[in-house]
Amino acid sequence: MTDPKTNPRPLNPTSSDLSASSTASADVVITHEDIDRAHDRERVWETRSRRGLGSRARLLWLLIGPGILVMLGENDGPSMLSYAATGARFGIGFFIPFVILTFLMACVVQEMTVRLGAATHRGHAELIFDRFGPFWGWFSMIDLMIGNFLTLVTEFIAVRAGLGFFGVPPWLAVLAAWLILFGALMAHRYWTWERVTLLAALCNLIFVPVALLSHPHWGSIGHALVTWKPLPGGLTPDLVLIVLADIGATVTPWMLFFQQSAIADKGLTTHDIRFGRVDTAVGAALAALAALATMVAAAPLFAHGMSTANFEAGEFAQALRPYVGQWGSALFALGMFEAGMVAAVTISTSSAYAFGEVAHRPHSLNLPFGEGKSFYLVLVLEAAAAAGLVLIPGIPLVYIVLVVNVIAVLAMPPALLFLYMLVNDREVMGDLVSPPWANILAIGVVTVLVAAGILFGVSVVAPQALSVFGGR
Amino acid sequence: MESSTNPRNDHDSSNAGLANIVSSLEPDQLIAAKKRYHWPRRKLTRLETALLWALRIYLIFMLGVVLYQIWHAVR
Repeated sequence: MTDPKTNPRPLNPTSSDLSASSTASADVVITHEDIDRAHDRERVWETRSRRGLGSRARLLWLLIGPGILVMLGENDGPSMLSYAATGARFGIGFFIPFVILTFLMACVVQEMTVRLGAATHRGHAELIFDRFGPFWGWFSMIDLMIGNFLTLVTEFIAVRAGLGFFGVPPWLAVLAAWLILFGALMAHRYWTWERVTLLAALCNLIFVPVALLSHPHWGSIGHALVTWKPLPGGLTPDLVLIVLADIGATVTPWMLFFQQSAIADKGLTTHDIRFGRVDTAVGAALAALAALATMVAAAPLFAHGMSTANFEAGEFAQALRPYVGQWGSALFALGMFEAGMVAAVTISTSSAYAFGEVAHRPHSLNLPFGEGKSFYLVLVLEAAAAAGLVLIPGIPLVYIVLVVNVIAVLAMPPALLFLYMLVNDREVMGDLVSPPWANILAIGVVTVLVAAGILFGVSVVAPQALSVFGGR
Repeated sequence: MESSTNPRNDHDSSNAGLANIVSSLEPDQLIAAKKRYHWPRRKLTRLETALLWALRIYLIFMLGVVLYQIWHAVR
């Protein structure tokens, strides 16, 4: 077993320089953040030194977090709305295996951030600025910040709609959500924040009982998984929009920034990459389960020919009542609230991490408020601004949701190119550069995303041209 | 107890304890190390620069398409 106390990781070219003047040296300032992280790492190394199944399980418990959080966090308000719209418009068919495919794509992408975060201990924004310079760095940051802010707005839309189902006024719903987000930070400890948010994120599975209450036809689900059929209506602009929305529901730029920064904040090292992969895969499996459950739960609306084109979250819950009962529709609304709430926490955290990394300000959930003022202020003020926007009367909320899903997919290929170049950068990654199979998969994901974006462009600008692809 | 009456010993033992705790971290995980060392800028190849620009133009163009779609829907 490798122990970092006796065998520091040789990968990073600076390690040897740094070890000479690290803990024992008087001129190195040990911060509060270092001590908190070191306590977490000490538990990991103690557990790792023991043998047995129990110790392995405890090690997994200690090391999971960022992967599950990022995947369930991405099952956010607009994503769940998108899955519900998919089930309601297309029923059980093509989109069941398609959504599983999108989560496999998410796994490929997020695995790269696990390696990058563990190998460098740096956040994504910091690495982009360091390696590509401020010109490309700012492009990347602008994409992230605009996307994150718009997405945060949609999370509060989901919160408002979810709690609105129970008669909670909009101002109280968004205020409650903002206070919960603020409260989650009060521990000033990454570990506590992560566990509390993980617990909340697991409530995303609330959509599973709703799906079961809809009495799904298991044979149809099995048939769809095998044949990718049926696909009612063929290739239409409506279908292209839903395809894009469902891709945008699983792979978005904030996920790259969040998971890498969270891995650095948690203190994962190259020894933990295997567990980081398990964490990501488990997160993807849970998120896919919740996504499929939402589609299945909404499928009765398709079977009964209901038009759901302009439905928001609360309206979906109302419309499902005849098919899933009072409890089912209440759980659906509660699920929408949860989806918006957890995503609001993770997305605002990703913005705060990125801001701190670029501005060279302290950025960690281990920081006491006094030491991490700018980090916490960015986090809560961005959330407050998004929450406030939702309360403006007459603001076109449906358009914002639409724009957010689409922008997420369109902004992904440039973000993935930075990630691809970083994980293939031997100076940064050492022996952990991407193997050829991982590069082929990553290029495949970029190709799918660009193709989906171009198809969307064609469907908007010249919908009749879809006939070239066999559509109508 | 000596340690409670001698502030120097207190200081030494707390320093030793601190060093022991922080040794659980890899050297480049320390905040001081992160502040001191930044990865040097890499030189982009022509292909990389072309790809970055191509995807940037793609994004800007597609955002235009999104705005057109919104304008069309509002109209």
